[in-house]
Amino acid sequence: MANILIVDDSSTMRKIISRSLRQAGLPVDEIFEAGDGIEGLSVIASGKTIGLILSDINMPNMDGLEFIKQVRANGNTVPVVMITTEGGEEIIKEAMSNGASDSIKKPFTPDQLQEKLGKLI
Amino acid sequence: MSLDPSASTFSEEQLAAYIIEATREVFSTMVMMDPKDDYPLKDPVRRFQCSITGMVGFAGTYSGVISIHCPVALALKITSNMLGMECDEVNEDLNDAIGEIANMLGGSVKQVLSKGGLDVKLSIPTVIAGEDYTVNSLSASDCVVIPFHVEDDKFIVGLTLTKED
Repeated sequence: MANILIVDDSSTMRKIISRSLRQAGLPVDEIFEAGDGIEGLSVIASGKTIGLILSDINMPNMDGLEFIKQVRANGNTVPVVMITTEGGEEIIKEAMSNGASDSIKKPFTPDQLQEKLGKLI
Repeated sequence: MSLDPSASTFSEEQLAAYIIEATREVFSTMVMMDPKDDYPLKDPVRRFQCSITGMVGFAGTYSGVISIHCPVALALKITSNMLGMECDEVNEDLNDAIGEIANMLGGSVKQVLSKGGLDVKLSIPTVIAGEDYTVNSLSASDCVVIPFHVEDDKFIVGLTLTKED
């Protein structure tokens, strides 16, 4: 079982992702939420044990590309999967070079989450 | 994806086809609804009553706005389906859900406009709701407007687009 951190500026999307994780039957324990990269870093800094981060890219204050850069700069090796409407090759390449493990395009199905995340949790 | 992202411009028919495909995908996957498209409108709809509008802007190689306009009654059903819980008033959840649909539609259209994704930027969604309001575009951009229906409810998805020099 793993604790999951969902970073997305849409509260609707955070709820959909939470529900989809449960529907996909993934071994999820506690789910933490953050509305942007800055809040995401605060959750991590609070000392909670996070087994997987799911992050949007296009967010106010601190976007997902900067967020993952900051996570890795702090020496954190937790898997980070981008869940985003931004499906462009170069953006995904940038996310991967910043340290992302994988990406999932919105809209998505619980089966797609299961397929991508099953091996990471 | 049937369109060629390397093409310098897109015909109205191509954009209409992509809007229809993107809208149906977003609704069937995230809203659990199966909207049917109707004939594209020749002119944009500017005035809305008891409605909610979600918009996302593009900037870069292409600029423009994609928007979804729907009656509040349908927006409540959409939000309830997305959240998996009853939503019966105009509140932050409703605004967020419609904004997120606009965001996903914007992401889909952006993928057609920009294969790499770095030369077109998407804005954060904007949402307007009210009993009587108008939405006007001040630019002379090309405009594609597709009406959809879900059972007895109707909504509109519009795209204005300009290729920058």
